[in-house]
Amino acid sequence: MDSPALPDRQPIIRARQVVKVYPAGGRPVQALKGVNLDVYAGEFVAIQGKSGAGKTTLVQILTGVDRLTGGEVWVDGAALHRFDENQLAFWRGRNVGVIFQSFYLMPTLSILDNVVLPIDLCGDYHPRRSRELALELLRQVGLEEHAYKLPSQISGGQQQRVAIARALANDPPLIIADEPTGRLDSVNAENIFQIFQSLVNGGKTVLMVTHDEGLASRASRRLILADGEIVADDFVPISVSEATNKTDD
Amino acid sequence: MVRPRVRKILADLWGNRMRSLLVIASITVGLFAIGVIATLHRVMTEDLRLGYAAANPPNIRIVAAPFDQGLVDHLKKVEGVRQAEGLRGFDARLESRPGEWIGIEFKAVPQDETRQIAQVRLVEGKWPPGDREVVIEQYKIADVNAQIGEWITIELPSGKRRPLKVVGVVSDQTVGAFASGPGFFLAPVQGYVNQETVEWLQQDLPYTYNMLYITVDGDSNDETRLWEVANRVRDEMEHAGGTVINIAVRGSYDHPNRRYLEALAIVLVLLGFLIVFLSGFLITNTMQAIIQQQIQQIGILKTLGSRRYQIILLYMGLILVFGAIAALTAAPLAYRVAFQRVVPLAKTINMAYRGPRFLPHVILLQVGMGLLVPQLAALAPILQGSRISVREALSGVRESQQGRRGWFDRMILRLRGFSRPTLISIRNTFRRKGRLLLTLTTLSLGGAIFIATFNVQVSMDRYVDMVSRYFLADVNLTLARPERVLEINQVLSDLPGVAYVEAWGTARSEMILPDGATGENVQLLAPPVDSRLVDPVMIEGRWVKSGDQNAIVLNERFMSDFPNLRVGDVLRLRLNGKETDWIIVGYFQLAGRSSGLLAYTSRESLLRVINQPDKAMTYRIVAEGKDLSKEEQEALGRAIEARMAARGIRVLDVTTGSYLSSSAAQGFAALTGFLLFLASLTALVGSIGLTGAMSLNVMERTREIGILRAIGATNRILLKLILTEGMLIGFLSWIIAVLAAFPISKLLSDSISQALFGNPSTLAYTPTGFLLWLGAVLILSALASILPARNAARLTIREVLAYE
Amino acid sequence: MPNVADTLSPQNVPSNNPSGQIPLRQPLVEMRQIYKTFKSPAGEFTALKNINACFYRGEFVSVVGKSGSGKSTLVNMITGIDRPTSGSVYVDGVCIQELGESAMSAWRGRNLGIVFQFYQLLPMLSLLENVVLPMDLCDRFPPTEREERARALLRLVGLEDYADQLPAEVSGGQQQSAAIARALANDPPILIADEPTGNLDSRTAEAVFDIFIGLREQGKTILMVTHDRSLAQRADRMLEIADGVLISDRLNGEGSLS
Repeated sequence: MDSPALPDRQPIIRARQVVKVYPAGGRPVQALKGVNLDVYAGEFVAIQGKSGAGKTTLVQILTGVDRLTGGEVWVDGAALHRFDENQLAFWRGRNVGVIFQSFYLMPTLSILDNVVLPIDLCGDYHPRRSRELALELLRQVGLEEHAYKLPSQISGGQQQRVAIARALANDPPLIIADEPTGRLDSVNAENIFQIFQSLVNGGKTVLMVTHDEGLASRASRRLILADGEIVADDFVPISVSEATNKTDD
Repeated sequence: MVRPRVRKILADLWGNRMRSLLVIASITVGLFAIGVIATLHRVMTEDLRLGYAAANPPNIRIVAAPFDQGLVDHLKKVEGVRQAEGLRGFDARLESRPGEWIGIEFKAVPQDETRQIAQVRLVEGKWPPGDREVVIEQYKIADVNAQIGEWITIELPSGKRRPLKVVGVVSDQTVGAFASGPGFFLAPVQGYVNQETVEWLQQDLPYTYNMLYITVDGDSNDETRLWEVANRVRDEMEHAGGTVINIAVRGSYDHPNRRYLEALAIVLVLLGFLIVFLSGFLITNTMQAIIQQQIQQIGILKTLGSRRYQIILLYMGLILVFGAIAALTAAPLAYRVAFQRVVPLAKTINMAYRGPRFLPHVILLQVGMGLLVPQLAALAPILQGSRISVREALSGVRESQQGRRGWFDRMILRLRGFSRPTLISIRNTFRRKGRLLLTLTTLSLGGAIFIATFNVQVSMDRYVDMVSRYFLADVNLTLARPERVLEINQVLSDLPGVAYVEAWGTARSEMILPDGATGENVQLLAPPVDSRLVDPVMIEGRWVKSGDQNAIVLNERFMSDFPNLRVGDVLRLRLNGKETDWIIVGYFQLAGRSSGLLAYTSRESLLRVINQPDKAMTYRIVAEGKDLSKEEQEALGRAIEARMAARGIRVLDVTTGSYLSSSAAQGFAALTGFLLFLASLTALVGSIGLTGAMSLNVMERTREIGILRAIGATNRILLKLILTEGMLIGFLSWIIAVLAAFPISKLLSDSISQALFGNPSTLAYTPTGFLLWLGAVLILSALASILPARNAARLTIREVLAYE
Repeated sequence: MPNVADTLSPQNVPSNNPSGQIPLRQPLVEMRQIYKTFKSPAGEFTALKNINACFYRGEFVSVVGKSGSGKSTLVNMITGIDRPTSGSVYVDGVCIQELGESAMSAWRGRNLGIVFQFYQLLPMLSLLENVVLPMDLCDRFPPTEREERARALLRLVGLEDYADQLPAEVSGGQQQSAAIARALANDPPILIADEPTGNLDSRTAEAVFDIFIGLREQGKTILMVTHDRSLAQRADRMLEIADGVLISDRLNGEGSLS
């Protein structure tokens, strides 16, 4: 368990002048126009913005899923802008848990195998121990009895909880989720949100893109993006324990 | 616990059975073809060699004036001789149908089973034949027209007719081994009788031999050595008072049809390579589509921390499983089919087939290729798929594919005058150019080989036509002894329906080698110098013309056996015991290298050399009508025979022209039949490729089909759309196949021709193959598109748009 | 849950019809007691629960709701892209769930224009060809007039200069405009748009929305699913759906009536 993070410590995410340009139909589109961002360990950050504002692009840059066109990004001390694809993959697999709107479970693998997969790919795989760990994670999200089903045999909300368990498999300090509740009804969305909250309480840092106003307002910090720039950030230097207390209110 | 990544491979394999089946089928077809080809190649090469050797064939055959067992025993002591056996051979005719006489070559065998050389294998009935019984060789048993237990009538050169009971059928590996004529395919029916039967037939007591079979010690495949031994035997024989008429030698493994098989082997290997190539294309295509479908999963794997090499290994593992399953399926299938195909082929080429057997190297070859070829074929798509960035993979949009428009796309975009649905079909056809290219290549090559087979077949037919240019007469008449030409001409010309008669001289001679030793037999044919019944195909030099003295033209066999012999050189021959020099004026093409040494000269020259009055045994007769059918020729033959009998002239043989050329063609029919089988196999590979490509095309465009549905496309329109695309690909492939068929026909035809005749072929083309393939490819592409089209029509839009 | 739609009288429907035509009492689209249940190995999920709604000629109706609320399923019932588990849908007097898949397709081609969130233009056809395609499929206009009509529609959405470009060569907003032109190809009375601005930035979304406003002026009936409330409020009427239930159905203020 991490000790409560203080804002004056080194940030877990540090982005400087991040620019991302896409070649779209011949005319390049600037998706991010020089974004600066510091996120400290233990924060629960909600990222908001309309479609096309650059939320997903920002998340992809921070997870190393996409390369930046300009600027610098350090995550947990790693200089992502200097990594190549393979280094990014390995780093990401061990240090970031990524969660998507569409769950993205491997359709042909059982729930349990889906959770073990990241350990197999870049963790310390051990046939018995990894399996036990995965079962424990599934227990945490309340799905241990579904461990041997295929993703298509459980509901969307359940699939998203499996995706969270999978994201935690290599015990990364940082969880980044892109519209994790976008495809879920309100009950399931609430459920997912509470899991995130407990993760933050457990010391993880969580970044969540959402356009659900209600959920966003309950995070410890809100960022609003518009046309590739951060237009609002209610960052207040608070300790994790305070942040937790605030959301519990 | 199995690692999750391994589990993913297995789950992918099982989870998408149709697709797995397609890949496995692609690999299996290739492996199957390779298995069949390798098995046939191996079995036939081995069995032809070993089967021949197992019969303990004679290395030397000496034809001589009658001699007895005492001489044989004496000759056994000659240095180099391992075994020596005397036997008696004679020609006769047998009545295959009432009034219908065909030639039969008899060999007398000892009653007891002491015969060691040229052993025959009993196929049916009994061996050896008893008194007044005959055993027939299997290859031309059909011509005999009699079952075991039935009686046949034979007619001896003396004109006497005798009944013989057929008691058995055997296989004799040495048929055609020493014929100095056109070899195995033209050899007459072979009959075997015992000594008592010979004595009864010929009534010349005591029994004598006229042929000596010898096997040699040590290396029995070295022709030089064989000739050394043969010449020693000849000297010894002549020293003992015998008269040697001619000598022939042959190695112990040198089956008479070895060259024929070599031609076949070339075709086999050529097609084998092609099929591996095609099946590789097929795998590349399918793997490309599989990777395309798995792009999102690759993205997820990468998000979870998977590095590139892990993804490459993952898919290579999947392919390894595909390959293993394919090899396991193909190996037993190929085994069955190959050993089924080998039986009729074995009969055609007189191979002593030794039965099905386990061939470890063939299995190894299949497993090896099954594991390796798919990896190579899939390497490019896998490397490409593993290279995609996570963002592209997750969004399903390949940036690299956007915005690029080559000249071809611009051309396609400028197409006007079609309705939009047709435009969709046309543009879809060219959408995945890589896949189209591979599909077209596979289908076109398969088609080209298919078409080429027909061209090769007509080339072979043309070759048979060419052979018949040496047999232009409608009827060939051979008399029992030379008769005066004027008289026979008169008799024949009086016969109704006869237009023209030529008397031909024939002689058997032996080459005298530069060192004075005796060489091989040369069959000498001597038509009149102004003969109208030979229309030779010259390879080099010219034909014999009037005014030539001792001019001779040689067949292509001389070119391969004696490459130093050129036009203008002198060839010394021993004829009737006398040595004469002949001037080589040209080389002609006849029945190829598998035939014996054959030479033409003019009858005038021959008569001068053998110093004979104007008598002849052989006459060639042309009927009044043109292009007589086989039946008409046979009728004329019977009329001639009757006339001769009425005049008291003894006839040895009456053969129709068509019989000769059709016998010569028999070997080629088997060859082209086999070629067609292989061509169908390549066509099958091609159509699996097309089916695969079409289902992949439709699968990938499921979303677009949904859109079409949403904006008003009915089932009929969807069907038409996909069918048009498939048929367009089919038609394009036909055009390419037509173009490719020309060089491929040439390649195939030349390879066969080179092996059979020792020179490139005269290639002929027929529209049959081209048209047949057009029909086949259109039907195939319609079938290949209907299934995916029907599946597409069944999808509802919600399913389709949920595909994202 | 009270059903607001039943209380809504057609006279209250604002008419900005330039032809001055008064909407008929007879609803153009009528949904009666629609239930939709999806079955999956994970269990049953009821996406629509007893939906009753009528839409009238010339209305511009927006449907809002959160993700997963059932709003897309609702419009799928009208387009025939999906079929109700129970209940019936009448469009212009046709009970559409009785049509077979192929007949439905033909009917849809003539009577509905559909606009999707992801544009869904056919990538291998130019914008112009994409717009002509529905006419080729439905044979409503004579072949010689089709291209001319398509050009006119592209002009309407401001794309006449891009007629010969491929979809991949123009921006998302332009693709969506072309998709609207395509939806209008057979001059259908009803236009249905499922999150038409969902994939566009705010400025482009505004431009696309303006096209819909213009079409409403010309008398088209428009049904638009969106989760952008500000846009939804500018339609004549707004339906709100949550967890498969229609929770509100109200006429919007004068902003859209002016």
